[in-house]
Amino acid sequence: MLKTTLAGLRAHLLRLMLTALAITLGVGFVAGTFVLTDTMKAGFDRQFTASAQKVSVAVLTDDKKIPDATLRAVRAVQGVQDAQGLVRGDAALLGKDGRAYGETPTLGMSIVTGPLARYTITKGRAPGGPGEAVLEKGVAGHTGYRVGDTIRVLDKKGTAHSFTVTGLVDVGVDQEIGFRGAVGFTEPVARQMTGEPGYVEVDVKGAAGVSNDRLRAAVAAAAGPSYTTVTSHGLAKRLAATSGLNVDDIATFFLAFALVALFVAALVIYNTFNILIAQRTREMALLRCVGATRGQVFRGVLVESVVVGLLASVLGVLIGIGLGYGAALIFDSGSGVPGGSLVVSPTPFFVGIPVGLAVTVLSALMPARAATRVPPVAALRTQSEGRVRGRAGIARIVVGALLGVAGVGVAALALTATPGKGPFLEIVAAGALVFLGVIALSPLIVGALSGVVGGLPARVFGVPGRLALANSRRNPKRAAVTTVALTVGVTLMTMFSVALASVRTTADNNIRDHFPVDYRLTAQSGPDDRPIPGAAVAHLRADPQFSAVIEVRTASATVGGRKQDVSSVTQGALGHELKPKISAGSLADLRPGALVLHDDDAKMFGVRVGGTVPVRTAHGTMTLRVAAITSGEESVLPDILLDQSDFTRSFGPKDPEQVYLIAGKGVSADASRAAVNKALRDYPAVRVSSAADIKDQLSKALDQAFLLVAALLALAIVISLIGIANTLTLSVVERTRESALLRALGLTRRGLRRMLSLEALIISLIGALVGVVMGTALGWAAISAAVDDAALGLPVGRIVLFILLAAVAGVVAAIMPGRRAARTSIVESLAAD
Amino acid sequence: MTSTAVGAPPAVLAHNVIKDYGTGEATVRALHGVSVGFARGAFTAIMGPSGSGKSTLMHCLAGLDTVNEGAIRIGDVEITRLSDKQLTHLRRDRIGFIFQAFNLLPTLTAEQNILLPLELSGRTLDRRWFDHVVDTVGLRPRLSHRPSELSGGQQQRVACARALVSRPEVIFADEPTGNLDSKSGAEVLSFLRSSVREMGQTIVMVTHDPVAASYADRVVFLRDGRIITELYGPTPDGVLDTLKSLES
Repeated sequence: MLKTTLAGLRAHLLRLMLTALAITLGVGFVAGTFVLTDTMKAGFDRQFTASAQKVSVAVLTDDKKIPDATLRAVRAVQGVQDAQGLVRGDAALLGKDGRAYGETPTLGMSIVTGPLARYTITKGRAPGGPGEAVLEKGVAGHTGYRVGDTIRVLDKKGTAHSFTVTGLVDVGVDQEIGFRGAVGFTEPVARQMTGEPGYVEVDVKGAAGVSNDRLRAAVAAAAGPSYTTVTSHGLAKRLAATSGLNVDDIATFFLAFALVALFVAALVIYNTFNILIAQRTREMALLRCVGATRGQVFRGVLVESVVVGLLASVLGVLIGIGLGYGAALIFDSGSGVPGGSLVVSPTPFFVGIPVGLAVTVLSALMPARAATRVPPVAALRTQSEGRVRGRAGIARIVVGALLGVAGVGVAALALTATPGKGPFLEIVAAGALVFLGVIALSPLIVGALSGVVGGLPARVFGVPGRLALANSRRNPKRAAVTTVALTVGVTLMTMFSVALASVRTTADNNIRDHFPVDYRLTAQSGPDDRPIPGAAVAHLRADPQFSAVIEVRTASATVGGRKQDVSSVTQGALGHELKPKISAGSLADLRPGALVLHDDDAKMFGVRVGGTVPVRTAHGTMTLRVAAITSGEESVLPDILLDQSDFTRSFGPKDPEQVYLIAGKGVSADASRAAVNKALRDYPAVRVSSAADIKDQLSKALDQAFLLVAALLALAIVISLIGIANTLTLSVVERTRESALLRALGLTRRGLRRMLSLEALIISLIGALVGVVMGTALGWAAISAAVDDAALGLPVGRIVLFILLAAVAGVVAAIMPGRRAARTSIVESLAAD
Repeated sequence: MTSTAVGAPPAVLAHNVIKDYGTGEATVRALHGVSVGFARGAFTAIMGPSGSGKSTLMHCLAGLDTVNEGAIRIGDVEITRLSDKQLTHLRRDRIGFIFQAFNLLPTLTAEQNILLPLELSGRTLDRRWFDHVVDTVGLRPRLSHRPSELSGGQQQRVACARALVSRPEVIFADEPTGNLDSKSGAEVLSFLRSSVREMGQTIVMVTHDPVAASYADRVVFLRDGRIITELYGPTPDGVLDTLKSLES
C-alpha cells in the first residue's frame, strides 16, 4: 500500500507541489521569525560585548555624577593603563530651521579616543578641540547635516555655539541616544556645553597582564562605595539589560502573523486534498476493488499528506532561514539594529517542521475520511463530471448560526461595557466566533453572493461571463473554502485599517474639540525642564495677530498623599477657548480654594465634586474643594488644575511650561506661523507644534503601523491566492472535456481563458467583500470596545483598494490555469477519460 | 432529396489529406492521402474497424485537428491554413457537433445548452426555428432541466437540437448513439435522418454500428487510413457484409 501511495505521489507531483507551496510559505514565516530574532539577539550580544570589551573595568553611577577627584584616584590605581570619564548631558542641537531638534534636547557627550574609544567614527574623524563636533549618525540623517557643515548647539544656559562637523559617530544600540540623538565633543567642550560637573561613567583600561577581576577590586576600592564597579563582562550584561529592546516581543508579534498564514495554508491544503480525492474517486474505488480496506485507503491519503507536509516543511524552514536573514538585514539598515551574520539555532527546525507537518496532516484528515467512503463499485461507473453538489447541510447551518449568534452576543456585551482592555479582548473572541460561523456558513454565503458579484460579468462578458458565474456556483463548498482563505487576510487587513482610521478620526475629533488652539509652545522636555521665557510670552501677547495666549504652569506637589504634577492655566480662557469635557461640576467654580480633577485622578483619590483633596507644597498644605471633574483623552487641560492665585501663592511667579496660541480671525496660517517664529527667534529651545503638526505626526505613525501590518499579512494573502490558483488548476483538470466541448462549439482560446479569469474574479471578489464587511465591523467593534468616545473612521480609499487588489490578484491567479486550459488539444481532451 | 444535384459543390471536401501522429521513429500515419466529398443535404456515414482513422478523419474535417498535407474545404473555405482563432470562429458559425458523450455543459439547462453556439457567435435567435427544432426533438417539457436530470437519450436529443438550431453548413456526429440503448438510439437516428430530409441539413456521422449506418444515404468505408469503398442507400446487412469483406 505504501508503494502505491508513493507511486501516486510521484504521478501527482505537480498538483501536490502547489499544495506544498502553501505550507512551505507558512512554515517559512514561522522559521524566518525564529531566524530573525536569533540573529538579532546574537547581533545585540555581539555588539554589547564588542563595546564592553574595549574596557577592562568600568565605574558606573546611578544618579550622582562621578567627580574629577574620583577619576584621578582611579587613574592612580596600580595596573591601570588608562582611565577616561564619560560626560553626558543636554546639548540641544539646532536643526537647519534654527529650532531645537527633537522632543527632547539632544545629548552632548564626550568622545573618547585611543584604546578606550567605545564608539566607532563611521565618517570623518573625532573632534580634535574647541569648535569641532561629531554627530551621531541617526541625528545626522534626520537633520541633513553632513561632515564639514557648521552646526549650532545650545549650551546649558541656552546660548548657541557653532561647531564644525568633523565626523559621524555610530553609538550602536543605545536606546537613549537612539531616541534623543547626540552630539559628541572633546571632553572639555562636552563639560562646558552640558555644564555637567562630573562623569556618568569612568572607563578603565588595565595594563597588560592584569586580570579584570583583580583590577575591578582595586578600582572599586579607589572609587569608593557610592559607585558600582564592574568588569567588561558585567558591563556587557548591563548594556544588554538596559538596551530596552525585547527581542521576544518582536518574536511574539511576528508569530501571531505567522499563525494567520498557517491557518490560511491549512484551508488551502484542506481544499486541495479534497479536490484531489474527488478527482481520484475511480482510483480509490479501484484500490478498494482489488482488496484495499477502508483503513488502507485512509492511511494511504494520510501517508501522502505526511510526505507532502514533511517535504514542504523542510523546504519552508530553508526558505525561512533566507527570509529571516533578509529581514534582519532590512532591520539593520533601517534602524541600526544589528543584523550581522546569520544565526540559525535548532529552533526553526524543531518548531517549523512539526508545525508544518501537523497542519498538513490535520488538514488532510477530513478529505482522507471522505476517501474511505468511496464504494468499490464507483470504479465501474463512468465518472459523472462536474457534479453540481455540496448543498449546505442542516448541521452546518445550525453550527454556523449558533457561532454567529454567540459571537454577536459577546460583541454586544462588550460594546455595552465601559471601554477598556477587557471588552477589547471580548471583541477579539467575538470576532473569532463570528469568523468561525462565517466559515461554517460560507457555502451559503458564497452561493448567495456569487449571483450578486457575478451578475455584472455575466451580463457584460456574454457567454464566458455566464459560464464563469455558473462554474463559480457549481461546487459551493469548494468555492467557499477557496474564498474563506482570502477572506481571512482581507478581514484582518480591513480590520487594521478601519481600526487605525478610527483612531485617527477619534484623535482628530479630540484635537478639534479639546485642542482648539492653533499653536502649542512647549519647552523641550529633558532632565532640566526649561520653561518658556517670559519675554517671549510677552512678545506674543503684544502681537495683535493672536487673539488668545494661554499659559500653563506646572509644578510638583503632594496631592492626596501622592507626588503629582499640578498646574494652572490662564483662567480667563477656561470655558471659552478651552472647553474640556466635563463629567461633573462646573469650571466656573474654580476659585481660590478649589481645584479641577481629571476623572482618573478623582477615582484614584476617591472624591466627587464638592469633596476635598489635600495639596501639600513647600508653602504648607491647602485643602481644596473639587469644583469640576474633566474626562476624555487627549485633553489639552492638565489633569490636576489649581486656581491661578493659589498656584502663584504656592510656587511663586514662574515662566510657563506651555503656552497655547490662538490666531485672530482672518489671520492666515503663514502669517501666524511667521509671527510665532519671529517671537521665538531668540529662544530656539522652545518647541512649536500646531494641531496640523500633531495630526501629521499621528498620520505618519499610523501609516507606518499599517504598512508593517500589511506587509506581514501580505503572506497570508499570497497563500490564499495560491489556493485560488490551485482550485482553478484542479477545476481545469476536472473540466478538461467540458473545455474541449466548448472549444469545439466555437469558444476561442481567449474566451476560455476569460471564462477562468472571470471565475477567479468572482471568487476573489466574494472573498474580498466578505472580508471587507467583517473587517469593518470588527475594526469598529474593537475600537469602540477599547477607547472612550471612539469616533469610527472608514478608510474608503483603502478598502476600495483592497477590493481592487483582490480582483486583480484573482485574475493573476487564473493566468496559469487559464493558459493550461487553452493550450490543451481539443481532440485529445475529447478522448480523455 | 436523397441525392445531390449533379454539379453542385459538396458541403465538405477533403483532398489528399495526410495525417501523422508522433514524430521520428514513433510516427504513425493515421490518414494516407484521403480524398472524399460530402454532398450538401446528404446524410453520410463514415465506417471502419477500430484504428481505421475514421475519427481522425472527422476531427480533421471539422477543424478540430490539423493535417500534415492536403486540403479541406468547408463550403468555399479552405480550412487547413486557418489560424486557431479563425478555425474556432468557423466551427462556431458553420459547423454543428454531436459527440458520443459529455455533449452538454452540466451547469447549463437544456435550453441554455441548445442556445450556446448562437450565444457564442452573438447571433440573434430565430424563435420560430428554435420552437420548430425543440418540438421536433420533443424536448419542450425538459427545457429548464439540467443535463443531470435528463436521460441519456434526452441528452443526445438536446445535443442534436443544439447542432441544428444554428443551421450549420454541416453537422459532424461522432458515434452519437454509442452510449444509448437501441430504442433511444433509433429515435436519435430517425431524427437526424428527418432533419436531412425535411430541413435539408448536411450530416457526416462516424459510427461502427451497421444499424446506425443504415440510416444514412451513403456509407464511406475506411481501413488503415485509406478510403476502401462506399455504399449508397445502405441496409444493415449490406453494411455488415461490406465490413466483413473489409476485415478479411
